[in-house]
Amino acid sequence: MRLTLQMLISHGRVARRMGLGPESRINMLRNILTGLVRHERIETTLARADEVRFYAEKLIDYAKKGDTDEKAMKMASFWLTEKDLVPKLFKVLAPRFETQTNGYTRMARLPNRTNLDRAKMAVLEYKGNPFPPLYPVKKENELTLINQLLKGYREDMAQQLATKA
Amino acid sequence: MAACCRNLHKCAHYLRSVRLQQIQNERLLSTSSCRLAPSDKPGKFIPPSKPVIIDKAQSATSQRKFLSPEFIPPRQRTDPLKFSMERKDMIRRRKVLDIPEFYAGSILAVTMTDPNANGKVNRFVGICIQRGGKGLGATFVLRNIIDNQGVEICYELYNPRIQQVELLKLEKRLDDNLLYLRDALPEYSTVEPNMKPVPAPSTGEVPLNKMKVRMRPKPWSKRWERPKYNVQGIAFEQILSAEQLEHAQKWAQPWLQYDMLKEYDTSRIQEEILTEVTREMGQ
Repeated sequence: MRLTLQMLISHGRVARRMGLGPESRINMLRNILTGLVRHERIETTLARADEVRFYAEKLIDYAKKGDTDEKAMKMASFWLTEKDLVPKLFKVLAPRFETQTNGYTRMARLPNRTNLDRAKMAVLEYKGNPFPPLYPVKKENELTLINQLLKGYREDMAQQLATKA
Repeated sequence: MAACCRNLHKCAHYLRSVRLQQIQNERLLSTSSCRLAPSDKPGKFIPPSKPVIIDKAQSATSQRKFLSPEFIPPRQRTDPLKFSMERKDMIRRRKVLDIPEFYAGSILAVTMTDPNANGKVNRFVGICIQRGGKGLGATFVLRNIIDNQGVEICYELYNPRIQQVELLKLEKRLDDNLLYLRDALPEYSTVEPNMKPVPAPSTGEVPLNKMKVRMRPKPWSKRWERPKYNVQGIAFEQILSAEQLEHAQKWAQPWLQYDMLKEYDTSRIQEEILTEVTREMGQ
């Protein structure tokens, strides 16, 4: 389990060993990331989702540099195996996250897989996608007791300030 | 010209020609005779004025914006406090000892106290082939060939035994690590021990030497043609066949350049530390 990247880096080890070797790992993550950019929400095993999450965020960071940037274009054309997604990355995803500096993705646990093995599953998505939300949206209710008390308190404070001034 | 000189300083010419009959007109044009002339008493010796040596290499370091690479902490879990404390000590040392800006490929002269040396001081001149270490333990390796024997000395940059670090020639090479000079022809790592400092441009880019070295025949200490080392400064075409160069590409890992996890972007850290160091050095 990874806490943060900084906590994981020890003796140069920063990544999980998965697939059939380093090249296979990168190719697998490329395919998953291409699927994520296309569908904006995907379902994989937990380890793969966690691994690809870092690359998904970094790819947005590169995309923010613009499609005239040479390095950004190289990265995009490598990581997106289907080339029709490159304009989507620069024209749709990069402007969507212009106000943010990090945290472009959201990950959530799913129940373990049952048909094949008992692998831990997870869902990974880019924020701001058109799908229904992963977590139930909290409703703002004005009529609860605490909210009513707070509202009264704020009004009292405003009145006191007005009388002082 | 000779006649003019003779008219101006007749007495000097007369006295000297009487004393030294065999001296010809050309010798009279030398600077020593001209300097003798304005004095009232021609027989008296006046020592020539001491030449003022302007060290252009020293002024160059002050104008260029430069942060020594050992200030940048490595990418690891170590507490940043350790590096900030080491930085303070490094700055204190740099206030006493002038450490110039240099790169792998620059030629340096290091004066170090040595209890076994004659006069207790040892001066070594060589080409810097590697810079290593971070923080107070930073090192650099100087290489030279003395009596047909390759000599390498690894100096610790903040060793208190170092008395002086002189920059004789500021230069960059195509690679950051020149360990392959061990397997190159000796002429590429031979440096004259009494070398005079070469003035470097005070502003702008550091001069880049695009020289490609010729190697001794194989075996080498490392297989430098492998993509792992990514050596640019060797003329491989002269020593290896096309098949051998192609065979070396079997170990290439072209996906590594796209692995964003391996990237370590130091530009922000570098700017922060540079402002801190310039502020502290100014005090």
